[in-house]
Amino acid sequence: MSRLRLWLLAVGGAGLAALLAAACLELPGFGGSRHPYGDRAVHASLSRHTANTIASVNFDQRAYDTLGEMSILFAAVLGCVVLLREARDEHRARPEPTDVARPVRRYALLVLPVALVTGLYVIAHGQLSPGGGFQGGVVAATALHLLYLGADYHALERVRPLGVYETTDALAVSSYLALGAAGVLAGTAFLANTLLPYGTFNTLSSGGAVPLLNAAVGMEVASAVVVLLAHFLDQAVEIEEEPGRGTP
Amino acid sequence: MAVNGWILAATIELGGGGAAALWGVATGPPARRVIAQNMTTSAVCPALLLLAQGYGRPSYVDLALLLALLGPVGTLVFARLLGDDLAGQQPSAWALTWTAAGLGAAVVLALCVAGSPGRATVKLLVIGALLISGNLVASRALAGGFRGVRGG
Amino acid sequence: MSDALTVVVLLLVAGSATATVAQRDPARQALVLSFLGVLLAALFTVFQAPDVGLSQLAVGSVLTPLLIMLSVRKVRRRARSEEGTE
Repeated sequence: MSRLRLWLLAVGGAGLAALLAAACLELPGFGGSRHPYGDRAVHASLSRHTANTIASVNFDQRAYDTLGEMSILFAAVLGCVVLLREARDEHRARPEPTDVARPVRRYALLVLPVALVTGLYVIAHGQLSPGGGFQGGVVAATALHLLYLGADYHALERVRPLGVYETTDALAVSSYLALGAAGVLAGTAFLANTLLPYGTFNTLSSGGAVPLLNAAVGMEVASAVVVLLAHFLDQAVEIEEEPGRGTP
Repeated sequence: MAVNGWILAATIELGGGGAAALWGVATGPPARRVIAQNMTTSAVCPALLLLAQGYGRPSYVDLALLLALLGPVGTLVFARLLGDDLAGQQPSAWALTWTAAGLGAAVVLALCVAGSPGRATVKLLVIGALLISGNLVASRALAGGFRGVRGG
Repeated sequence: MSDALTVVVLLLVAGSATATVAQRDPARQALVLSFLGVLLAALFTVFQAPDVGLSQLAVGSVLTPLLIMLSVRKVRRRARSEEGTE
């Protein structure tokens, strides 16, 4: 049985190696200005009025791959939530308040709104300039944690109702799926960018469904990062093991 | 060629600043490492601005904006959570901090003069303000900005 | 000219990646890792991939160091409380 499995692995591995070697021989030269895939992707994105070709690839031409990446993040955060929950032999202890120097506290409170707005700007301009839902979502979620860095954990907990972020996370993934299914219902294909008008090139509302899918990813990433960091912070700052238990 | 002057400046900035920061961050006591980590932002952010100008791609400025915003926040993370390792030694290098701030200001001013006034200039000035204030505050945080961090 | 830039950035990334792996203490490793993250963002910019560079900056400058340092704090706190009870 195990020998058969090894043979199967060897055959599969050899096939993959042969295909990879054949593909490498046909690769375009390093650092060239033209690339067959690049030319086609740029052409497709321009025909759908999306200024940033990367956004067009992520949310239009390969929107299905983005759905996969989104589910990976969702599943990873779900796994962390399950692993880092408060176990039966643990209890919460309120941390002592921290004495933060005044310039640091002021800076954190000033930069927080700036970072939040920058995150939203990066999400909103995803189809026009570098950036998009993932990058902007991470920045917006990071901005909230300036409250922990500049004040203390209690201040962050007050503006962070965790249930809302968990619900938003799930809703964002569902809305991405719903946008995809809308294409099927309209008679084209799953996640096909044919429903909405393409709009004027290089404006915020251009690109058809690209801005909507982009916003869904931004919401998902921002709330997923907040939930993830919340559980890490709970474990590092608040949750303590009962003395004398849990250690074999 | 005039265009390549920007890229040449970025190469020098990245090579010099990057090598110095790498040496500082990978060797020595923790106090020196966090200072070098803080200086990374002030070394690489102007280089990103110079690259955006050199390539003639205004949208690349977003990278410098994000670095100027998030780099100092990263240093605050270390200043807050490395408390045990930094106990007793107050890492401060104000000469270096002010030199880095001056370098950032010089690059931002040069780019403002080279470009035509408009929204791009405002963005550049915002990046410069964020970079310099972030650098100064992160240095202040390292030099004893968090006292009594035990539980939190 | 841009070849020199590519070589400089690639050498710096290779050097800092090696330095990251060579560190023994996770907290110091996080410091070198955040430096490596910023340099990778510069490398992606040089290779004309600003989207990837932005992702790297967003994740590598605050999120990864914060996750690592919080885990380090948890592990150290647990070790300290075990010392206290024994």
